[in-house]
Amino acid sequence: MTPMERLEKVFRVVFDDDEIALRPEMTANDVDGWDSLSHTNLILSVEKEFGIKFNQRELLTFKNVGDLLRSIESKL
Amino acid sequence: MLFHTYPFIIFLAIVLPLFYLLRKTKLWLPFLLASSYVFYGMLNPWFLLLVLYITLLNYAIGIVMSRLPFDPEPGAPFYRKQIFWLWLGVFADIWPLAFFKYARFFNENLNAVFGWVHIPFRLPDPSVIMPFGIPYLLPAGISFFTFQALSYLIDLYLGKIERERNLLRFANFVCFFPNVLMGPIERAGHMLPQFERPAAFRLKNFTDGLSLFLIGLFKKLALASYLQIFVDRVYDNPGDCGAPELILATIAFGWQIYFDFSGYSDMARGVARLFGFNLVLNFNNPYLATGIGDFWRRWHMSFSRWILDYIFMPLQLMWRNWPSWGTAAALVVTFLFSGVWHVAGVFWTYIVWGLLHGFGLAATNQLERSKYYRKNVPTWIKRAGTFAFVSFAWIFFRAHTIDDALLIVKRIFIAPWSNPHIAGLIIAIIILAWIYQILHETRWRETLARTSWAWSAALAVLLVVILCFSSSGSGAFIYLQF
Repeated sequence: MTPMERLEKVFRVVFDDDEIALRPEMTANDVDGWDSLSHTNLILSVEKEFGIKFNQRELLTFKNVGDLLRSIESKL
Repeated sequence: MLFHTYPFIIFLAIVLPLFYLLRKTKLWLPFLLASSYVFYGMLNPWFLLLVLYITLLNYAIGIVMSRLPFDPEPGAPFYRKQIFWLWLGVFADIWPLAFFKYARFFNENLNAVFGWVHIPFRLPDPSVIMPFGIPYLLPAGISFFTFQALSYLIDLYLGKIERERNLLRFANFVCFFPNVLMGPIERAGHMLPQFERPAAFRLKNFTDGLSLFLIGLFKKLALASYLQIFVDRVYDNPGDCGAPELILATIAFGWQIYFDFSGYSDMARGVARLFGFNLVLNFNNPYLATGIGDFWRRWHMSFSRWILDYIFMPLQLMWRNWPSWGTAAALVVTFLFSGVWHVAGVFWTYIVWGLLHGFGLAATNQLERSKYYRKNVPTWIKRAGTFAFVSFAWIFFRAHTIDDALLIVKRIFIAPWSNPHIAGLIIAIIILAWIYQILHETRWRETLARTSWAWSAALAVLLVVILCFSSSGSGAFIYLQF
């Protein structure tokens, strides 16, 4: 599985929606239930899935799914 | 100069045509800044120094930070330096606000402690160190332009925006007369591009701007001022009032502060629109919220987004390995900050108000997000429950002291229901406002939006009639004190 596919799997579990199809330009506005409160669950699940750790400042700079994915790929 | 006063109308009548005359010249931006400084300086010219300080400080730190190439990796070469300049900027921005807002309170409490432990030393009142006889008063708008400048620094630090090179544009961003006094709190990413070139002349900006302004004026002068008379009477003597009056006054205060502050925000957005600028929406039918979280997505939105982005999110991410408690703790701390910021005169009432919302959010955020709550609980029950909670918290916001607030809460349950003095018009206003907001969230929204011009014209006529027959003063805005 590519990182994108693994990330998509995490999104589907976290937001409890099997229809989610990730695109790099997607933001929180495009995913139902993705808000500041669910964001930590998402980040924790991503860190677990990929076995990586983000630092706080990185997390605050992500603007969309593409930014998140680039950061994941740089840590793999 | 407040929007609902005659000097402002004169100011607008001079500045608006000149702005459009100068639109095609290079003078439009300096003229806009000069107008904003006149507007702000009319309140107290000395406090313009503070505006200049915040402007130059953040512009300068922006230059320094932009020289350190952005890289969020902890091992990056300039990582520590960027953090250093960010914190320096944050402290340099915040100390005037902290000084004007809390120094007296801090000194009084510290002196009380010195008294208890028999230390003869006493801190002087902060007013004695003010130079040139400048009064020790909270400079109007200081919170709003400070928060706005902070968002510029933090967004720059996070790589969300580019540094603003043009000092004139930056100065306009810090002090733009429509929103300098009470918001909406704008972000650099939304506002700075609007100062790049003047918007094209459009008739729609005039009609939209004028109708927003008139609706805001009506909310403030007719609705908030009228409700205020009743609310003040009850809250000034809560011990003399029965339960029905206390309940009605509490509900009426919820609507008074909504009409006062959202009316102001409408006027700010309307004035900005007349000049072709767009300010963000600050209120979105907050009393239709279906949860406390939803309420904060609809109430004072520019502020709640600010505390969410710059306080809640960093804390929550920092404590993320402690999942449910981390989020709860971040919520409580964030809303404690909100309470501390609202402090004006009395201290503990606003702290209790902030903590009520913080704990309320911490307790309900999982529930509010659950599928069962979203799908199965009837909307009207969610709305009623949320409104009841929000109103309960308003008791502490409005009461003069904690003792008063507790007395009101107690009397709501035990005071007699006989012989209530209930004003019918108050109830009518509240019910009509609710119906209007409910319609606004149905398929009627489009119709209401399309007819907003007619609405505001009708309201303007009504307003003139009311002003001709009333003698009550309209007073200042509630949020001017923060």
